[in-house]
Amino acid sequence: MSAVLTSTASVPIATRLPRLRIGGALFYLVLSVAALVWFSPLFVLVFTALKSAQDFGQNGAFSLPTAIEWGNFAKAWKIGIETYFINSTLLTLLKVPTGVFICSLAAFALAKMRPRGGETVFTIFVLGLVVPIQMTLVPLTILYQELDLIDSLPGLFFLYLGFGLPLGILVLRGFFRSIPNELIEAAVIDGASWWDIYWRIMMPLARPAVVSLLILDGISTWNEFILAQIFIRTQQNRTLPLGVVQFSTEYSTAYELLAAGQLITILPLAVLYLLFQRHFVHGMAGAVK
Amino acid sequence: MTTADIGTPAARAFRRERRGVVPEWLAPWLFLAPAMFIFGVVLVYPMLYSIWLSLFQWDGVSPVKTWVGIGNYVELFTANRVFWIALKNSIFWSSLSLIVPTSIGLALALVLNRAFRGSAFFRSVFYFPAILSMSIVGLIWGWVYHPNLGLLNQMLASVGLSAWEQSWLSDPKISLIAVFVAGTWHNAGLPMLLFLAGLQTVPKEALEAARIDGANALQSFWYVTFPLLRETTMIVVAITAINSLKVYDIIYVMTYGGPANRTQVLGTWMYFLTYNHNEVGLGTAIAVILFMLTLIFAVPYTRYMVRSR
Repeated sequence: MSAVLTSTASVPIATRLPRLRIGGALFYLVLSVAALVWFSPLFVLVFTALKSAQDFGQNGAFSLPTAIEWGNFAKAWKIGIETYFINSTLLTLLKVPTGVFICSLAAFALAKMRPRGGETVFTIFVLGLVVPIQMTLVPLTILYQELDLIDSLPGLFFLYLGFGLPLGILVLRGFFRSIPNELIEAAVIDGASWWDIYWRIMMPLARPAVVSLLILDGISTWNEFILAQIFIRTQQNRTLPLGVVQFSTEYSTAYELLAAGQLITILPLAVLYLLFQRHFVHGMAGAVK
Repeated sequence: MTTADIGTPAARAFRRERRGVVPEWLAPWLFLAPAMFIFGVVLVYPMLYSIWLSLFQWDGVSPVKTWVGIGNYVELFTANRVFWIALKNSIFWSSLSLIVPTSIGLALALVLNRAFRGSAFFRSVFYFPAILSMSIVGLIWGWVYHPNLGLLNQMLASVGLSAWEQSWLSDPKISLIAVFVAGTWHNAGLPMLLFLAGLQTVPKEALEAARIDGANALQSFWYVTFPLLRETTMIVVAITAINSLKVYDIIYVMTYGGPANRTQVLGTWMYFLTYNHNEVGLGTAIAVILFMLTLIFAVPYTRYMVRSR
């Protein structure tokens, strides 16, 4: 049996090619249909966002728009999305670099300075990755009432910092540990302080990991829902995910505006995803493994 | 780990001589201080306080908290009907999550791992929903399931299956499944990515050898590829279990726990009890129970993460 098979393995490239081609066409066909089905909710979303209310009423959600109605975006933007978009953008742009910086300090200490008790501290940080957020909500609500931080974006910023720490520390610690210690020893001999080592040697080397983390953390900050839902009370302070959800109860029948609002929320992610896909995929896979 | 690091006595002494502003033992803790402070305030302290609060009966407003010991837990298990629904739904959701999105992710990874023209494009397409927030996924799928205007019912009608049309989210028999399908759209991406990364470590020689020995595709997957993916599979299982127990946003957005609390899970029921019914003691007790459930998977996972790094 193995003799027969060995012979097929060595000979048949030429004879196999045609079969592969038919198989190939079928393969592409099946895959493309699957991809279309997979994306169909998004297609419908885009179609709906680009239709006038009248077109929608006549032809439903499922058909291509008869004429493209860009006005939906302007309208959705004006009746609230603008505020949410600005809030989310500010929050993300401020939180993500701050968070990554704080994570990198901690990760550097845990990976390279290795204080006594560092393993325990690290274990507690990693545990933060698995804690259900519900475990923290009530005490945080009480604390924030006392500090007058309910319905405040700086208050939300601080919470986001905290909940972003575990993943960031995990990713960066892993990366820092892969940098050889000889580099540090040489710098120490040259009289470098720990800060010099961190800032001049480790951070420049860690750039790929830092970029991946910025993207990962940016996406999860942009997407966060439950904390915003609990700690933000007024319309002017809503972030995009919260705003868009509330939007859909307030304008529940203005489908074209809802769709436009959702699309505006997704769009920055889609752009980021297209630009930084490689970083993103590596970061994600590296983060959890 | 080569601990011949910067901790060699000579190096330490040398550095002490050179600087000496900050004692050597203190330096790492200064680097750790911001993270530890924030983490303590936002996570550690609230977690401990939640455990404490779960032993009281409290409405969240009055200055008086009444000590009830494990009374809240007893009440949940004996007298809170919705808690049982939520517990069953959470277990149902997580069990299904361990099978469905993970299998889809594995299947996609196996197909897309091959080098063919456009493979990167298809990977992006299938991964994309995973970067969207669960709340937006909920809104988009709420739309797909809309009884009159939704994609799903219109599709069914257009292929002559009008009889299959449902009000997907308001029928208690199918609403949780309907939400789960929406969740799967989002949740298949991460397993796909992890399995794709895992497949990179499967040596081509092993597959080649299997092929020469006459294994068909299914056999070589079952006897060669899958055993080599053991570690990846364990990680996927742990992450999926933990994340699926935490499910909240998508249910909140799509069904709000309804109809008639039939789609409550632990995460949402904790929220409704605490913030809508002012049963803070019962709510935190649910949070603690949820935390205990995640620990079943989280302890081995955390150990693995700490050791392997």
